[in-house]
Amino acid sequence: MATLTLRNLVKAYGKTEVLHSINLDIANGEFVVFVGPSGCGKSTTLRMIAGLEEVTSGEILIGDRVVNHLEPKARNIAMVFQNYAIYPHLSVRKNIGFGLRTSKMAKADKEKRIEEVAAILSMTEYLDRKPAQLSGGQRQRVAIGRAMVRDPSVFLFDEPLSNLDAQLRTQMRLEIKKLHQRVGTTIVFVTHDQVEAMTMADRIVIMKDGHIQQIGTPAEVFHKPANTFVAQFIGAPSMNMLDARWQGGALHLAGQALPAKLSLPDDTALTVGIRPDDLLVSPGPGVFSGTVSVLEPLGTQTLVYVDIGGREVIAQASGRTPPQLGAHVTLAADLDNMHLFDSTGKAIA
Amino acid sequence: MKLYSRLSIERKRTVWAWGFLALPILFYVVIRFYPTADAMLLSFQNWNLLGARSWAGLDNYIRLFNDPVFWKVFRNTFMYLILGTPISLVISFVIAYHLDKTRFLHGTLRALYFLPFLTTAVAMAWVWRWFYQPVPIGLFNNILSSLGFSQVRFLNSTTNALPSILAPAIWAGLGFQIIIFMAGLRAIPVSYYEAARIDGVSNWTILREITLPLLKPTIVFLVVFSSIGFLRIFDQVFNMTTNDPGGPLNSTMPLVMMIYQTAFSSYTMGYAAAQTVVLFTVLLVVSLVQLRLLRDR
Repeated sequence: MATLTLRNLVKAYGKTEVLHSINLDIANGEFVVFVGPSGCGKSTTLRMIAGLEEVTSGEILIGDRVVNHLEPKARNIAMVFQNYAIYPHLSVRKNIGFGLRTSKMAKADKEKRIEEVAAILSMTEYLDRKPAQLSGGQRQRVAIGRAMVRDPSVFLFDEPLSNLDAQLRTQMRLEIKKLHQRVGTTIVFVTHDQVEAMTMADRIVIMKDGHIQQIGTPAEVFHKPANTFVAQFIGAPSMNMLDARWQGGALHLAGQALPAKLSLPDDTALTVGIRPDDLLVSPGPGVFSGTVSVLEPLGTQTLVYVDIGGREVIAQASGRTPPQLGAHVTLAADLDNMHLFDSTGKAIA
Repeated sequence: MKLYSRLSIERKRTVWAWGFLALPILFYVVIRFYPTADAMLLSFQNWNLLGARSWAGLDNYIRLFNDPVFWKVFRNTFMYLILGTPISLVISFVIAYHLDKTRFLHGTLRALYFLPFLTTAVAMAWVWRWFYQPVPIGLFNNILSSLGFSQVRFLNSTTNALPSILAPAIWAGLGFQIIIFMAGLRAIPVSYYEAARIDGVSNWTILREITLPLLKPTIVFLVVFSSIGFLRIFDQVFNMTTNDPGGPLNSTMPLVMMIYQTAFSSYTMGYAAAQTVVLFTVLLVVSLVQLRLLRDR
């Protein structure tokens, strides 16, 4: 187990810089998830930590040791790949044992260690099978077993669940989380799926275009997004974004003037974000009104797409009594639950 | 037409499939199977290509069995196989393995290695023949003598001639084998190597335990393919020993050349057919044994 520190980490391919000065401190035993759209640099960062990519500038520290120039093996990390990277011609036992090949352990101890890991992952009865005889979830477990067997100080996961179907993904998500709670090793996990990030992470690192957008606990990034990108990336369905203007002690948006107390200069352009869960179809008076254009029933609730003066927003209604398509509805929202962003997209505290 | 429209969809498909297959089947029967069967029949007959055929029973096979030249030729053919296949495979694998990791001039190098495969065997054989000549003509002997070594009799020594002919044959096939090996290497996911690097195993272990086992289908294909090629070697030998085909003293003569001479110099077609049947059997047995030995267990 160890801490992991990234200091001014930069990656460039030729003259193209793809990672711009990444700084991050990961505590011992922390589960950190890197999330962002494809091409944001999250996998590159992970591969640099693993030692599979050269560091252009900056430092990577595992524990107190700068590991920039160490071979992957010497960093004492283990990695789980998206395509599992388990060898099809070797049995599960040999695949898990592959990580111990260079270890100086006695043969009997190695066998014991493999058995232990297999037991933790409930794979004991499959030890002598070949990967082709296993299901997707089991193969994933072999890949995790192979990483665990060496007892590394940091686990790296590179989108390990994206090849699994939705149900299995949910299950493996839970298993990895339980595993972390049990072994307590520091984990860095890369995904493009914000639900994975929210459900598993102690802290989430949201990245875009090689920059960190926000670092925070799942609750922080959800309730206090640092900018419009984070606000829209985290949470599904995405947050509604409305152009607004602060004028004469009121917030003018979508043809409405909402009185509010804000310490902003008069006549300021703003963006107001409202999560669909905070914008409810209400029988009484509301903030906005418009006609229902699309309904998406989800069971417990129904997502209602409402056209408010030429702008479509997503609101929520009860799953039992949804409005009719084309009906005129009013939408209630609490000003406290609105997120305000300045013209550059940064959150206004 | 009415009959056709009454058929079920399954039947209609069958009719169409056989309709399309009819032409190639006919072609194969006339061009391949019929001559093969006829050659087998001919091996039990005597025929001088023009006159009538007469029954010979097993005479051709008995004659073959007692022919010292045949056994010499049989041994030569297997020498081509036993030396050619492993040497060409090892060389082409080593080149492909390193070429796969080279970015510098990758395309050019690959083209250069593939070039001999495009060249006709005749042209190549004659160029190599020139290489092998004694001083002052031959390239190799000129180099040797300028370095102060004694000359080597390449093509007119009974011990050196076979390897000397095999060398250009191996070289000519390398391009193809390299391309196939590289395709096989490319098909192995990069993450397998990355995972192994993280586990810290040596390059030798990666090669032995990951690369080679995963290349097995490629290796099986190339072993069988190149074995058939070396068992059927002819044009290299023919063009490099034109003064004394298969010489000196039959030391380079492969089975195909013996068949050629028996058929088209001596016009003993029945005897040639018996040799062909033996070659066919050898090819079949060698291929089947290789497939069985190298098959996935």
